[in-house]
Amino acid sequence: MFLNTLHLWQFRNYCDQWVEFTAPKTIVLGENAQGKSNLLESVELLATLRSHRAMRDRELVLEGTEEGRAAARLERAIGAMDLGMVMRRSGRRTLVANGQTLKRQVDFLGLMSAVEFSSLDLDLVRGGPGYRRHWIDTLLVQLEPMYHHLLQQYNTVLRQRNALLKRHAKSDSSCLNSTELAIWDAQLATVGTRVIRRRARAIARLAPLASTWHSNISDHRETLILRYAPSVPMDADDPEQIQQTFLERIKQRAIAEQAQGTTLVGPHRDEIDFIINDTPARQFGSQGQQRTLVLALKLAELKLIEAVIGEPPLLLLDDVLAELDLNRQNKLLDTIQDRFQTLITTTHLGSFDAQWLKSSQILTVKAGEIIENEP
Amino acid sequence: MQELAQALLDAKKQVGLCSVCFHLSADPVCEICRAPSRDPNTVCVVSDSRDVIAIEKTREYKGKYHVLGGLISPMEGIGPDQLHITPLVRRVNQDNIQEVIMAISPSVEGETTTLYIGKLLKPFTRVTRIAFGLPMGGDLEYADEVTLARALEGRRDLDMG
Ligand SMILES: Nc1ncnc2c1ncn2[C@@H]1O[C@H](COP(=O)(O)OP(=O)(O)OP(=O)(O)O)[C@@H](O)[C@H]1O
Ligand SMILES: [Mg+2]
Ligand SMILES: [Zn+2]
Repeated sequence: MFLNTLHLWQFRNYCDQWVEFTAPKTIVLGENAQGKSNLLESVELLATLRSHRAMRDRELVLEGTEEGRAAARLERAIGAMDLGMVMRRSGRRTLVANGQTLKRQVDFLGLMSAVEFSSLDLDLVRGGPGYRRHWIDTLLVQLEPMYHHLLQQYNTVLRQRNALLKRHAKSDSSCLNSTELAIWDAQLATVGTRVIRRRARAIARLAPLASTWHSNISDHRETLILRYAPSVPMDADDPEQIQQTFLERIKQRAIAEQAQGTTLVGPHRDEIDFIINDTPARQFGSQGQQRTLVLALKLAELKLIEAVIGEPPLLLLDDVLAELDLNRQNKLLDTIQDRFQTLITTTHLGSFDAQWLKSSQILTVKAGEIIENEP
Repeated sequence: MQELAQALLDAKKQVGLCSVCFHLSADPVCEICRAPSRDPNTVCVVSDSRDVIAIEKTREYKGKYHVLGGLISPMEGIGPDQLHITPLVRRVNQDNIQEVIMAISPSVEGETTTLYIGKLLKPFTRVTRIAFGLPMGGDLEYADEVTLARALEGRRDLDMG
């Protein structure tokens, strides 16, 4: 797929900006805090409906205004597509595809696909399990748009069940309605099982790709194992068995849950383990190993999305290229070639290969305005 | 839709709730509950009076109603005790009700409410639910009449898993 144009209106620090992409690689050049990451973020949003840096939509809307908009014209194998997303301070969104306002978010997902890779992604290895869950979820909504709905459902059940437990934990006089709790347990287990099975399926497909890449980038000195460690253990992809185990676990933790007033069992507590040469990468991986690992994960994502949707997704490289050493840079560049349209941000062109610069489009960003450099 | 909601709000101030089904009513017992032509053995459970109005528009349903006055939602402090659930159980026990049709939106809160009531009523009567082919998280209010009529017709026994 190819992103032809992007229009940002009252989005982050952009007032009204059109951007035209004319080459498979676009370098977005600018000093700090000018709007490079903001540009990439708009593409990430259109592809995934999620941003890895914004918690709420009001952060995305230009300060002093009520609503903002990001729109894209995309070339896909099946034809051209116009995508638009209106974000509001209130949090309500409107999604438009080819001039039609969509009723369901899932119908928007899957129209544009992108893999985002930023220096923050080292948190994937070093950070807490929440980073890894967010990562696999963002990939999953692109592979299986229905997952977006499932995840929202799960989070609602979780918040409702936590509210019930919390109220009970606070006021020991009110006795917990055990029939109501049992229904919330059942809902948590039903929806949670769906989340777990889809995560397991995605990781099973991603793991061999990531291992191959890791081995390749480390010149076959290292082997990577990706292992899903769900909060509810599963032996096989058997929904009834998982649901059964889920309910048993809830029963085992019932006293602790009621004392703490929060849900202790479920996919919101899942972990994904990265193991390099039999040791956990999180505690023991060297800086270099961790970089190799993140790069391998990103390349695996690219390939998996490409395999599933049948077209190469976009690649968004935010500040990372300059941070990779020459060997890793070359592995990455060899892979993307001209097949994956790539947007690259940087503060200076010094670390780029001259040949490479020649074939790239270069845009300069200054205080929310974009100027095309003369080739 | 805005006007209708406002009209209902105004109505709520002047009129009370039916003492049997909790639908909006100027009289102690509403017109639907009093109508001799309506099947007294079938009760359709909805969350809101607006849903009664939406289903009545289809002219497909000939039984009676029961309005819960909301959905179970711990985040908003709404538990079963805040809804008209106990009177529903009493009705089912006293009035020889043959079928309770749950017509509640398939949101997380709606699903919990449906399952909760199903659990209470299953020992006493047949509990069915309407077949939702509605937009995800869709409300009865926004479903067109044909969709609603079809959903009522295609109802099936509530599966308690
Ligand atoms: N909602 C908003 N309204 C107005 N300005 C915003 C908004 N959100 C962010 N900004 C501004 O955008 C700028 C940050 O942009 P961005 O994160 O894209 O920087 P960058 O060019 O990637 O810089 P760096 O090289 O440091 O990563 C900051 O000046 C910030 O104040
Ligand atoms: Mg940046
Ligand atoms: Zn009545």
